[in-house]
Amino acid sequence: MIKANNIHKSFGDLEVLKGIDLEVQPSEVVVLVGVSGSGKSTLLRCFNFLEMINDGEITIDGTTINHKKDNLSKVRAEVGMVFQHFNLFPHKTVIENIIEAPMQVKKKKKAAAIKHAKELLDKVGLADKADVYPNKLSGGQKQRVAIARSLAMEPKVMLFDEPTSALDPELVTEVLQVMKNLAEEGMTMVVVTHEMRFAREVADRIIMLDEGVIIESADPKTFFENPSNERTKQFIQLVE
Amino acid sequence: MPEIFGTLIDVFTRTLSGFLEATVITLQLTAVGIILGCLLGLFFALLKLSKAKPLQMIANFYITVIRGTPLIVQIMFLYFGITEFVTLSNYWAGAIALGVHNGAYIAEIFRGAIQGVDKGQTEASFSLGMTKSQTMKRIVFPQALRRSIPPLGNQFIIALKDSSLVYVIGVAELFSLANREAAQSFQPFETYLIVGFYYLVLVMIFTYLLRWYENKLDFDKD
Repeated sequence: MIKANNIHKSFGDLEVLKGIDLEVQPSEVVVLVGVSGSGKSTLLRCFNFLEMINDGEITIDGTTINHKKDNLSKVRAEVGMVFQHFNLFPHKTVIENIIEAPMQVKKKKKAAAIKHAKELLDKVGLADKADVYPNKLSGGQKQRVAIARSLAMEPKVMLFDEPTSALDPELVTEVLQVMKNLAEEGMTMVVVTHEMRFAREVADRIIMLDEGVIIESADPKTFFENPSNERTKQFIQLVE
Repeated sequence: MPEIFGTLIDVFTRTLSGFLEATVITLQLTAVGIILGCLLGLFFALLKLSKAKPLQMIANFYITVIRGTPLIVQIMFLYFGITEFVTLSNYWAGAIALGVHNGAYIAEIFRGAIQGVDKGQTEASFSLGMTKSQTMKRIVFPQALRRSIPPLGNQFIIALKDSSLVYVIGVAELFSLANREAAQSFQPFETYLIVGFYYLVLVMIFTYLLRWYENKLDFDKD
């Protein structure tokens, strides 16, 4: 589903990604972990071209994108992204947030878009919030709307960039539960998170980044119980 | 004291129909100035935000020159200065000067408001597959508009009051008429007090309308 070959990314003189190779299979849930500055968020952002790579190649569902001039919006429409700070559109109601892209990008009819949006809201447990503005929602509710908004485009992959890091502790579970349900439905997911319980329970594979390279890639059991890299061991001790 | 009120009311009633007619001209000039100013402002704000250096330079040139010279000079220039190329009526020279003048300030207002929209908004929009122009039109501009209303309102009020400067080229707007009236009647005290009152009322109506519009667009408030 996602194929990344030898990804290099620099910001000025700072090389953040130093040759990443990664392949994500359909329906696979990959969790990216690492200390801050390890490049995990940058890598995720490269997958929907919010950051353009300096070298290497990214293929999403058979389409290779190398250059800014390529048809980015078309590929992005297939890749959902959920942000740490939700980024809901504050001037639109919950339902308007969700139907915006399907109507503008997919040229869906309003009635059909609303119907789908309501199903999605139901799925994330917010059917009663369709007509409120985002500022009336709690952080957890905002993030669930953001997930519904992404799903409305019927993406082939969902990217999550620290989706629970901006939430109060008591609101984390409701978001993780929605993500867990998605994973069980077979959605292909790449998740950057610090939630180790989620990683352990939901991930098919956990990948550890350190200073821009992948130093560990293993199923959760191996990752936590028998990691091969010394820094992974340190990391696990730190977070557990 | 009552005598002053008596003469004020006399002057007020005597000048009423003329001043009301002139108020219409003042409002027309202001409207043209604001509409043209907003169009130019948006255009040059977008130039300034574009990635192309030459376009940025054009916008910077316009903003620097217009903000760096007095409006009254611009009015005189458009009316008397360019007659070799185009001849404008005094009304249109004044209106266009107001538009061009306000455009420079409004360009900066729009630029600031557009840049003030959180980067996460465009990222979210892009990530949903929206194109750059869809993102600008549907996500960035509506939020920028909301942000630009308070400074824009300020600029509109300045435009309304600045329209009085076109008296120098003899457009029959409020202040022009007040000048004539004051000179002819030898009652400058009453006349200028009254014309000031006209401007004050107009500005208060403006302020009220802008506040109403701002509230209407306010999605942040409870």
